[in-house]
Amino acid sequence: MAQSKVHYSKKTRKLVMKETVSAYLFMLPFLIFFLGFVVYPMFMCVYTSFFDATMGDRADIFVGFANYKELFQDQVFIKAFWNTLVIVVVSVPVTCIFSLWVANCISKMNVAATSTFRCIFYLPVVTGSVAVTMVWKWMFNNYYGIFNYVGQTTGMIDRPINWLGDPRYALGCIILILLTTSVGQPIVLYVSALDNVDKSLVEAAEVDGATSLQAFWRIKWPQMMPTTLYILVITTINSFQCFALIQLLTSGGPDNSTMTIMYYIYHNAFKLYRYGYGNAMGVILALIIAALSAVQMKLGQEKN
Amino acid sequence: MKKILALVLAACMVMTFAACGSNNASETTAPADAANAANGSESSNAPAEGKTQISLWTYPIGDWGKQENVNALLAKFNEAHPNIEVKVEYLTYSDGDDKVNTAIEGKRAPDVIMEGPERLVSNWGAKGVMVDLSDLWTEDAKADVFGSVEAACKSADGAYYEYPLCMTAHCMAINKTVFEETGAWQYVDAETHTWTTENFLKACQTLADAGYDIGSIYCNGQGGDQGTRALINNLYGGTFTNAEHTAYTANSPENVKAMETLLNQKGIRYDASINGGEEADLFAQGILKMAFCWNAATHDARKEVIGENFEVFPMAFPSPEGTDTQLCGGIWGFGIFNNGDDAKIEAAKTFIKWVCDENTVESVETSGFWSVRNSVTDTYAGDEMKAVYGSFMQYMGDYYNVIPGWTTARTEWASMLQKISTGTPVAEAAETFVSNANAAAAG
Repeated sequence: MAQSKVHYSKKTRKLVMKETVSAYLFMLPFLIFFLGFVVYPMFMCVYTSFFDATMGDRADIFVGFANYKELFQDQVFIKAFWNTLVIVVVSVPVTCIFSLWVANCISKMNVAATSTFRCIFYLPVVTGSVAVTMVWKWMFNNYYGIFNYVGQTTGMIDRPINWLGDPRYALGCIILILLTTSVGQPIVLYVSALDNVDKSLVEAAEVDGATSLQAFWRIKWPQMMPTTLYILVITTINSFQCFALIQLLTSGGPDNSTMTIMYYIYHNAFKLYRYGYGNAMGVILALIIAALSAVQMKLGQEKN
Repeated sequence: MKKILALVLAACMVMTFAACGSNNASETTAPADAANAANGSESSNAPAEGKTQISLWTYPIGDWGKQENVNALLAKFNEAHPNIEVKVEYLTYSDGDDKVNTAIEGKRAPDVIMEGPERLVSNWGAKGVMVDLSDLWTEDAKADVFGSVEAACKSADGAYYEYPLCMTAHCMAINKTVFEETGAWQYVDAETHTWTTENFLKACQTLADAGYDIGSIYCNGQGGDQGTRALINNLYGGTFTNAEHTAYTANSPENVKAMETLLNQKGIRYDASINGGEEADLFAQGILKMAFCWNAATHDARKEVIGENFEVFPMAFPSPEGTDTQLCGGIWGFGIFNNGDDAKIEAAKTFIKWVCDENTVESVETSGFWSVRNSVTDTYAGDEMKAVYGSFMQYMGDYYNVIPGWTTARTEWASMLQKISTGTPVAEAAETFVSNANAAAAG
């Protein structure tokens, strides 16, 4: 079958070319930035992971896959991997479910109330993470923290709990703080998604006798799937990259009970100057995040 | 219209990039630049014609972390050396190392840096990124500077990577008011500010019986870890390294006994949730009755918080005999990064010589500590509290911080204390520490 060809006039071709060049010129600043600060570091990260690279004038020594081999024998890395996994497994579903529930509740309210609650839940996102973390640190303080004060005055605990200094509680505290700073954006996104749901379909279902749960599950939920997929991906990535909280609160302790892959990368690269080893961890982390994101996207698309 | 819009957008983008390249907010220029600005002349990052510009990065060593004090010194320096401009950046101990290391990797290390031998000699010096300052160490300087300080500033291969300015002996502090109220004061030798291990433990028991939180073996990170090391090493006469500074010895029976004693002492807890600075804060707030992370500068920085609430009494760390205590020292001075520019290196040396040799007293006073020279004795004449802190200098112990693998050892020390706090037997935790630290020392 002969393909039809579109013939452009010389003037049109010139115009298209001009617009294409303009578009690339507009993109150029960002492209330079992207190549210099994203692509090049990514390449260097992979490259350096094959070297015993450290600070100073010593030449980097090629070690092949030795850094990767060492990773899987490093008990602290394995601990960091499990801790990171726990953070992701707990925080991602809880963030999504809680955000959806809150969004569903507040989207039924009047405009003023919806806006107010949206602001309240979004506040921790726009507040500096250091400030938020320091407030939590005070609340968890072993000596004068409000949690111990309330616990003791109400008789729930008989002596102060060292929330951030006890491995039984430290990771839980980190996850709790992470949740409070993670739900803001998903709530805003879900509220918008709920607003965009085709109301006529919901009304038609209700006329046909569908319950609220059925209407939500059969009509609203499928229409919100792209939003959910996006939230799942960004929450997963954020949870995997949990760093500031650890740095400010526990430094990975006590006894590595809050050590995450991100913090261990930082620790190796910037405290011990083991750049090659740190980069090998970075590559593994990137692969894990990419694989999980791909699975989430695939599942999401299938459901769509 | 489209063209105008395109131009505006392009200008915005260019400005964004220009903004990205602007100076760090914490960076200040030397008075020479400030003077130019005051005179109405243009101030820029480029040095004025005929001038050599050097950068100085300083950790918060007393008032060397305060812009107004450093600027006053630099103004005086510029009177003597108008052809050298000094740009200062103030670092913190929480992220200073990261900044410096990133700068070294990016080939943008500062010309001059102010810190101690553990960083200048054992870390950056050993990595070959520092300039050998042997020419600053004249025979006169060697004769004047304390021998132990000179040894700390010198690497194993004989190169000097630090030219020292000031020093202090880290000590501990007690809440004298509470000690007097509870009767624990009887265990303190108030004349010499020392106490024996036996009396220290009796005092702890007295405070514990009165229901007080006594102190914390803080181990959230490396911050202030000299305090926990000094306490543990002194309690039963243990050591942190061997005399040659080639191996870690913190698993000795004396150290294990000390850690077990502290673990079993009511009122003292191993606490992985706070670091040294936070422990000092808790002491200043009156919550803890002893601080193991303390020195003259720590005291000065918390005077307002302490106020009239209680009286701080500085103490040497307890040891079997009391007066045989070995305090950890802090030695601070200057090092030069080898940036390959001879003119800048020469200017940096001129600056260091002026600060340490020609303007010694004022430079030392800015640090709040004491001179490393025999010839400078009455730095804080008339200040009683400073005299007390100065008296601790006689107990200055071995400066073992120059041992190889120091960075790893500090991390492992915190990790060891955390392990103990979570129930790992002391001897096992100490064994792990020594094994890992010695592995790092062996390279």
